[in-house]
Amino acid sequence: MKLAYYPGCVSKSTGKEMDASTRAVCGALGIELEELDDWNCCGATHVSNELVAAGLAARNMAQTDLPIMTACSICYSNLRAAAQRLEEHETLEKVNAVLDKKYSGARIRHALDVILEALAENDERIVVPLKELKVAPYYGCLLTRPAGLYSPEFPIILEKLIKRLQAEPVDFRLMTICCGGPIFMPQEKAAEDIAFKILSEAKRAGAEVIVTVCPLCHLMLDAKQQVLEQKHGVRIGIPVLYVTQLAGIALGLGPEELGLDMNSVSPMVVVERMYARLSE
Amino acid sequence: MAGDERFKQEVLRLAGAEVLTCIQCGTCSASCPTAFLMNPSIRRLIKFCLEGKKEEALHNETLWLCTSCLLCTVRCPRGIRPKAVVSALKDMAEREGLRSKDAAYEQFFLKQIKDYGRIAELALTAEFLLVFPQGAVQSMQMGLELLPKGKIDLKIEKIKGRDEVKRIVEELSK
Repeated sequence: MKLAYYPGCVSKSTGKEMDASTRAVCGALGIELEELDDWNCCGATHVSNELVAAGLAARNMAQTDLPIMTACSICYSNLRAAAQRLEEHETLEKVNAVLDKKYSGARIRHALDVILEALAENDERIVVPLKELKVAPYYGCLLTRPAGLYSPEFPIILEKLIKRLQAEPVDFRLMTICCGGPIFMPQEKAAEDIAFKILSEAKRAGAEVIVTVCPLCHLMLDAKQQVLEQKHGVRIGIPVLYVTQLAGIALGLGPEELGLDMNSVSPMVVVERMYARLSE
Repeated sequence: MAGDERFKQEVLRLAGAEVLTCIQCGTCSASCPTAFLMNPSIRRLIKFCLEGKKEEALHNETLWLCTSCLLCTVRCPRGIRPKAVVSALKDMAEREGLRSKDAAYEQFFLKQIKDYGRIAELALTAEFLLVFPQGAVQSMQMGLELLPKGKIDLKIEKIKGRDEVKRIVEELSK
């Protein structure tokens, strides 16, 4: 299978391990990725004018005829929302009037969905089954919103993948609550309070790992975890993995390929435990 | 006193005419993850728009506490997109040159898209903190965490289609 790949801006900085693990896992699963030519920023959550946001997305989507895959839920949501808006004739005309390559429809996929589809039950490529690993499925907001393939509040696709990797999803009540990330820059305190609530809930639920599908969720829960621990005087210590990293571990890919050394809370203890079990 | 009808129509144009069907049930406010920090609530913000109360609708912190999570939008029983109302108001506030740290952040963000086609997180943060240094401590903490991991890139990536992107931003925001 061949897909167009939209890495998104964070793939060059705070989400480097998301990008590395996405490419590595797709390679292992025989999915060929063709990076979108000269892609631009999707506008994230900071472009308030919806027509401009649709235009930015349309320029990306017009670069290919292949289905477009991204591992970032913000990019995913923006491209999907734009594709919905571009079904309106008036919006499409206005947008195409300023584009070099004209937009004429696109299919947008998240890496999570692509990986799940590629993996069979008891797939023999799962050489490191994540048996008994308790994983908090953290969807955040934008994988499931605006409403599309998945229930916006009670999705199950992440649990499905966790189970397919033979790990155990924990009952995680805040799984579709926003991480606060989009307002982190101008509204630090509000964003930190929300992120702390989510981490505390994951701890309460007995999670050994939190899995995310968005680089902003990842940043808030992983890179900020130590600061939040200090601020609140509690120990959390839960590694936060991108879904592509979790899948990569089960597929037997190495820490370097998956960028595991770039995670703030090291997942290596967990990884080593999974490997130790293999020789039991 | 009659409200500002032009303002109301502009909100409807940007966020959708279905905003008129709001029954003020408060599902949006009850769903919002930052509602506890907001005054006015999202529900009242929509009421201000429908009453043409431009000042009250544009000058508040509520707009900037929205995380764009869209929970209000998937739950609204009238099919209104409350987040789109917030976006419309932010857009109007920015066009009116409203000065706040939050509006400035969005403007820096858009400027990077116009200039480079992509976001360079380090440059964006630096530019913002030069003008509004209040968040410097948090950003420093984050920087110290990310730098040794190789996740702060000093290079600014520029795409080839910058003219096209600039045109998208300028022409479509008219």
